[in-house]
Amino acid sequence: MNARSKKKYSVLLRPLFFLALALLSTTFQVEARVLPVVTVTPDTVLVGDRIDCLITVNHSSEEAVSLEGINVQALQPFELISSKRLSPKVLSGITQDTFELKLVHFGAGKQTLPFFTVLFHDAAGRLADRLTFRPSASVYVRELTDASMRDLRPIKPPLSPLIPYLLLLPALLGVFGVGILAMLLIFFLKRTVRNSAERVDSGQVAQRKLRKLGTSLSAGMPPHECYEELSNIMRSFLETHYRISALEAVTQEIERDLKKLGVAGFESIMNLLKQADLVKFADSRPDVEESRQSLHKASEVIRSTRRSRSSDE
Amino acid sequence: MQHAVELEELGAEINDASRFLEQAEVLLSQRIVGQLEVIRRVFISMLVNGHILLEGVPGLAKTLIISTVASVMNLKFQRIQFTPDMLPADLIGTMIYNPKDMEFYPRKGPVFANVILADEINRSPAKVQSALLEAMQERQVTIGNQTFPLQEPFMVLATQNPVEHEGTYLLPEAQVDRFMMKVIVDYPSYDEELEIMLRSATTSVKAPIQAVVQADDIFRARALIDRIYVDPRVQHYIIDLVVATRNPGLYGMAELGAMIEYGASPRASIFLLLAAKAHAFLQHRPYVTPEDVKAIAYDTLRHRIRPGYEAEADNIKPDDMIRQILQHVQVP
Repeated sequence: MNARSKKKYSVLLRPLFFLALALLSTTFQVEARVLPVVTVTPDTVLVGDRIDCLITVNHSSEEAVSLEGINVQALQPFELISSKRLSPKVLSGITQDTFELKLVHFGAGKQTLPFFTVLFHDAAGRLADRLTFRPSASVYVRELTDASMRDLRPIKPPLSPLIPYLLLLPALLGVFGVGILAMLLIFFLKRTVRNSAERVDSGQVAQRKLRKLGTSLSAGMPPHECYEELSNIMRSFLETHYRISALEAVTQEIERDLKKLGVAGFESIMNLLKQADLVKFADSRPDVEESRQSLHKASEVIRSTRRSRSSDE
Repeated sequence: MQHAVELEELGAEINDASRFLEQAEVLLSQRIVGQLEVIRRVFISMLVNGHILLEGVPGLAKTLIISTVASVMNLKFQRIQFTPDMLPADLIGTMIYNPKDMEFYPRKGPVFANVILADEINRSPAKVQSALLEAMQERQVTIGNQTFPLQEPFMVLATQNPVEHEGTYLLPEAQVDRFMMKVIVDYPSYDEELEIMLRSATTSVKAPIQAVVQADDIFRARALIDRIYVDPRVQHYIIDLVVATRNPGLYGMAELGAMIEYGASPRASIFLLLAAKAHAFLQHRPYVTPEDVKAIAYDTLRHRIRPGYEAEADNIKPDDMIRQILQHVQVP
């Protein structure tokens, strides 16, 4: 091959080389475009529910993008309620554009989203590229209403966040534990108080008071005052011993209560109370000896009552 | 044990003088089944010159009790049915013109009797009620320009129905206070009702009841009741009970203070003492004990305590208040 023919070949090959180069660069350019990402929420709706469709397109910062043919016809069988373009985000030379579409479907069953076409424009505004794609995302539309229904369903209120019960559980257990502890404490305190109260024998107390009263009588206490005190001692004893309301009750009421309880020595108790009533209310005038005998009788009654109670127990 | 000599004598006299009431009780029990407490309240009232307001639903033998008591007592009895169109003259009487001598003469009304049954007193207007209550208080009636004393013993037993209020004129507190006791007539027990049914379900006319009580018996009893001994302790107990209705806080019942709008008047103390003495007389006792006071406290105080708004809202009745007072005021 001579130099002339070499030159002829090079003249022919040069355009072919550039053409191949141009084709290769175009191929590489197309292969470098990333498919837009389409997300649909929720993936299951009722007829008439709103569907949020987000289309995210990544492209070079020198380009501008737009969606082609976003209208009622193009989106069939979906219907467009609204469309909005969100502010683009720029990340290391890549711009991310997001289109938010609100759709609705009045059919039923699994619905695939329609084709979308993204247009790429260069800095001068000329159309540089177009990309048509069909998103893989789909929506399942449940038919719970009349098939002829063509109205939008109301927007659902946002779900309230769930209470973190697991976090509350330790606090609840703590409160419960404190409550149990407090109840146990009250129970033991009550038992202790009751035991100590039971240890104070009402009979012993009454006997001590009667001895003291006898001493006062010997020391010159007027007999009618002695009977008044005797009545009080007997009533206090009956109130604590038989747990009846004797201090605020009249003799007749005490008689009725003691009869109901079937108290041992009932006659003697009532005799003493009635004698005291005579002194208190009927202006009776007992002498010292009578008073002493009544004190002795009262002491006997209390002793026998305590004895019969302990034998019962 | 020695009693005061006069008390021993009085005890014997009371035993003798109260026998007529036992006879009356026996006779009344032949005609009236149960209601012994109501009958005793009527006796107490008669013995101390008081008047009674009987309250109970229709058909509880209120009228029968009163008319039978009157017939046992050989006293002049008048039943006056109070109606809305009644005038005071229908009750106390009026001046009648005599054309013969061209002068006015008084014609005495039905109030001139010993025992008056004012049936359904709340059915007549206030002026008729006032005329009767004035006669009760003053024990005399003025017709025209002449004043006529009422015959002793004089007792008014008024009845009123607690459930039927339509077309009635509620007795004002000041007039209710003039009644010594307000007695609630309750339903009979099961056995009593059975006996009432068997006794009453006949077509035969009942024989008139024999009068065993004379007016003199009552006057003698009244004189003895005046001599019944009341110890200062019991006197103070009565005053304590009455004061407790006015100021419960003094007796450890602060919460009851908000429930009572008005407490009992001094008439309550007077009537409590009188009724307690009469109660002791019925027990053949020459002295009063706190038991006598407690026994008549409900009937003497219930119409003298006016419950406040809070009590009405909580459905707390005067009887509940009296029960609380009796439980809190210390017995001597």
